[in-house]
Amino acid sequence: MRARLFQMQQKLHETPHLLRLGRLFSETVLLEVDGAEFYLTFRDGRLETIVEGPSRKTPWRFAFRTDADSLAQFWQPIPKPGFHDIFGLVKIGRGRIDGDILTLVKNLSFFKEFMGLARAEAPSEELA
Amino acid sequence: MSFEPIIGRYLTITAQGRTQRIYVETAGQGTPVLCLHTAGADTRQWRHILNDAGLTATHQFFAFDMPWHGKSLPPEGFETEEYLLTTETYMETVLAVSRALGLVRPILAGCSMGGRIALQLAALQGDAFSGFIAIEASDFQPAWYDIDWFHRPDAHGGEMGAALVSANISPHAPKTERWNTLWMFMQSGPGVFRGDLSFYTRDDSLIARLAQIDTARTPVHLLVGAYDLTCTPEDARRTAASIHGATCTVMDELGHFPMSEHPAGFRPYFLDALNRMKRPAAV
Repeated sequence: MRARLFQMQQKLHETPHLLRLGRLFSETVLLEVDGAEFYLTFRDGRLETIVEGPSRKTPWRFAFRTDADSLAQFWQPIPKPGFHDIFGLVKIGRGRIDGDILTLVKNLSFFKEFMGLARAEAPSEELA
Repeated sequence: MSFEPIIGRYLTITAQGRTQRIYVETAGQGTPVLCLHTAGADTRQWRHILNDAGLTATHQFFAFDMPWHGKSLPPEGFETEEYLLTTETYMETVLAVSRALGLVRPILAGCSMGGRIALQLAALQGDAFSGFIAIEASDFQPAWYDIDWFHRPDAHGGEMGAALVSANISPHAPKTERWNTLWMFMQSGPGVFRGDLSFYTRDDSLIARLAQIDTARTPVHLLVGAYDLTCTPEDARRTAASIHGATCTVMDELGHFPMSEHPAGFRPYFLDALNRMKRPAAV
């Protein structure tokens, strides 16, 4: 998962339209996968740091919690119904969103496109 | 120069005592079909159907922008008004447009909130139409989100609305049409998507009316995309099961905006639905 996040970070920084879309987004997001915590700190649309938890001291604006199998399916080129969107994962009970949801919604296009950055290159085997 | 066959015109109606300038597009000849767009969007969602020579050879399609949407202006005095669509206003508007167009018992085809109002009209004004194609339509869903998110001074409601509804578009949809579909939401006027959602997520009056629908007089067919998170196949099946004689088809590779997001994928399902409307009505 850690390697995948660094790949996404690199891809984000190589994607001008996403950097433009996220230019006002400077927040820390908690991504939790099978209980493992990853604190993603964005600054002006760039993913500045990826810090692994657990941590009880790191403040975050919103959290997206899911499991590795769901993310693997989410990153398939053509995901199955429900696995095709982060809100789909929530709808089918495979994901959960906590915290300041309004901040997520204000930056939803950016965050969803960021989460989808691993999609095209997602291997079908287990996540790294 | 080669124009598309779609012709756009304006007409004026009165609904709820208010004068409304309505934009209407039409194409084709034959059986009239009145088409209703979703919340937060406009008539462009139907552009592929109205440009489909195979369908317009036998059907005359009419699609109109609801007041506040697309090229239909909001009513006079809108600048101090909170837009909140109601079932009563919506039904009266659809019936007034149908009358103004001179349509005699057209087929009514509506998507999402358009499908919801189609079922309301099936229950309350069934004789005004010859059949109902209710797309991504169901009895009721409360909102899991706060509709006020989509009308606030510190953020662009259209961009947020588009990002939200993108969850309902199938990954099978061609990329160009996915983004064309989202563009309409991005263009939606301030507070319009919120006002539509007020109708869609707060008025549950249809549930008690479903049993009133007489499919022997006017057939009802529901279409639902497997990728629709707002009106899921389960929602549509439940709704169809509550309407005696209604039928329902799940479209495996489509989402909440099938005629717009994936026109080629939607066409066979819509053609099948039109054919189901040919049942003679016992008027």
